[in-house]
Amino acid sequence: MKARAYITGASAISPQPTFDRDALEHVVAYTTHPLNVILPDIANFMDPVRARRMTRHTRMGLMAAINALQRAGVEQPGAIIVATGDGCKDSVARFLDNMVDHDEAVANPTAFIGSTHNSLAGQIAMALNSKAYNYTYLQRGASFPTALMDGLLKVREEGERNVVVGAADVVTPDFFRTHRRSWLWKQNDQVANLEVLTTTDRGALAGEGSAFFVLDSIPSTKAVELLGVDSVFCAKAEDMVGRAEGLLAEAGKRPEDVDLLIVGLNGDPAEDRAYDPIREHFPNATLACYKPLCGEFYTANALGLWFAWSALVSGKLPNEMVLKGRRSGGFKTALVHDHFQMKDHSLMLLGGS
Amino acid sequence: MTEHVHISGIGIISALGNSVDANLDALLNERTGIGPITRLQTRHSSLYPAAEVKLVHEDLAALVAPRSIRGWSRTALLGLQAVHEALAQAGIDPTHPRTGLISASTSGGMDRSESIYKQLLNDELNAEQEQYVGTHDPGEHTERIAAELGINGFITTISTACSSSANAIMLGSRMIRSGKLDVAIVGGSDALSRFTVNGFHSLMILDREPCRPFDEHRQGLNLGEAAAYLVLESEAHLKARNGKSLACVSGHANTNDAFHITASSPNGDGAFLAMQQALLSAGLTPDAINYINVHGTGTHNNDLSEGRALQRLFGPAPPPFSSTKTFTGHTLGAAGAVEAVFAVLAIQHNVCFANLRFQEPMIEAPLIPVRHSLHNQRIDHILSNSFGFGGNNSSLVFSAT
Repeated sequence: MKARAYITGASAISPQPTFDRDALEHVVAYTTHPLNVILPDIANFMDPVRARRMTRHTRMGLMAAINALQRAGVEQPGAIIVATGDGCKDSVARFLDNMVDHDEAVANPTAFIGSTHNSLAGQIAMALNSKAYNYTYLQRGASFPTALMDGLLKVREEGERNVVVGAADVVTPDFFRTHRRSWLWKQNDQVANLEVLTTTDRGALAGEGSAFFVLDSIPSTKAVELLGVDSVFCAKAEDMVGRAEGLLAEAGKRPEDVDLLIVGLNGDPAEDRAYDPIREHFPNATLACYKPLCGEFYTANALGLWFAWSALVSGKLPNEMVLKGRRSGGFKTALVHDHFQMKDHSLMLLGGS
Repeated sequence: MTEHVHISGIGIISALGNSVDANLDALLNERTGIGPITRLQTRHSSLYPAAEVKLVHEDLAALVAPRSIRGWSRTALLGLQAVHEALAQAGIDPTHPRTGLISASTSGGMDRSESIYKQLLNDELNAEQEQYVGTHDPGEHTERIAAELGINGFITTISTACSSSANAIMLGSRMIRSGKLDVAIVGGSDALSRFTVNGFHSLMILDREPCRPFDEHRQGLNLGEAAAYLVLESEAHLKARNGKSLACVSGHANTNDAFHITASSPNGDGAFLAMQQALLSAGLTPDAINYINVHGTGTHNNDLSEGRALQRLFGPAPPPFSSTKTFTGHTLGAAGAVEAVFAVLAIQHNVCFANLRFQEPMIEAPLIPVRHSLHNQRIDHILSNSFGFGGNNSSLVFSAT
């Protein structure tokens, strides 16, 4: 028989004070973007000498993963599954700069090693001395949802326990600049993050972050159940309503059970309209957003899941996230719908106790 | 394992040729694809040999012929070529909603992005360069191939260094076994780029001569480029459409060395665990394995570590084994899928392929690989190893249907 999968620990590093807690108490307002994370001190997690050569991406992901395991009371994970939109872009840039500037005459092994996209997952394994299954997914907006599907497969179908699955992506100045050319981000540096959903110009608020989760088949006291995940390439926004119905039916839930709908509104008016069908389909659920708090990035949906988990665990949401409906009083069933540039659509369904 | 996962199509493009038949011909005739670098423009071309696909971008684009050639990186073109061949053999329609695409790559569109990188940063791109903006990340080639073929469902990319496409095969197999997909197109693609040549050069693990895996005097690896894909199918789906099974994916495992970010542990702990668990998942004992396609890169570190792991699992005389990287070079993210295609060929043609250029066994782990193709072998089960940076170790078991 299929096992159930529970989130028994979670940790998020974001532009908000989300680290090592169940709920965000005070929302930080920014006036420019990209938003950068509030990075905890790595000395609390490992020998700073060992961390010296680690990129910001690796540090961030490593701390979130270790903290999630600590919060779940797990020393050895049954699997380590990491998602990242484009891995260690800071190391890649360092290597390319060096290679092009010196016309291939100067070698830089450290940057090359750091540029390997699974270096974060490898570093987590080394930090924990874990010989377990170790995967890294890179599929833009589908990176985290497909990694999470793997985690669900492990726990539900393959009898694995304590699977740590999460995501990390950073925004570097070059990445911000080069991707702003293609209108991914808003052209103006001056963007008030908490008002971004009222803007009418093209492009999203840029950000970064990391969130990790521990999945287990045995619930802990405050465990939230991961009821289902879906990831679709090139879906139409309207199709996601039917897929959400399918996900709910599989989990034995009715549409009216969904009391919290979290969508990935990012401030780009055209992209944000792709959430209209799902919003109309769940008119009675509390409607919340999260990207004004952390910005848009390939794996922002991992933070979307963290905010949903946080709402179910703590029973409340910050005012700044809620667009419609109640902010407190507990939530039972949360659906997260996200898309990246209208191509990678995903759904994640959580159930509280 | 409860349900069979069938392989119903294979496709490949490598330095050995642009099709499965061309690759098989080179393997059987012991004709290596490793030679002087002539296609890639790099300062190191006279220093290191490599296994190149000898088609320049325009010729490759003409061969593969996507609907529009705009914005196709070399990795994406190589990938599409191999996917086309695998789908044609399987005879399936990839637009079916329960069909997934799971690809693998270590460097994605790097062959293009490294040549426009400075122009992009300095805002000096010309119209020709402009088309390659946004083709850099490994997920891009998967997205592009999916869009070209009309795959609108589950797609993802795995990037775990040199075990990437072995892991793509494993994920596809697991998703079919659990009923999440009926068909999974799995494999990987990696084009040779200056980035990878310089990266491996910086690690000082490239051989200046054609590589000699498992030889006492081995000096390192040769890089290669390739794409290879397999069509995996559930038994029910294959039967319902009267498809033909070429072989089965019968076992798999992924473990971690947790030893060093780029080096394998001296005793091959991760490699041993991966092979042991793969056999366990296939329900086989070591003596059931008829042939091992080893990772065998030709570096001091890998071959010793893998050799010790082989000795630990199989004893002093393991079954026939060889590194086909002596033909294709190390094709990084594509290697696991390239070698999976070779495993299917080995099963189909009852042959163990050669480990070219081997002369003298390693003193510390004296093992003798297959020196020349062994024909008329009964091959029921093959073990295939792929190990990568980040301590990532994968083993797959392929079985005759």
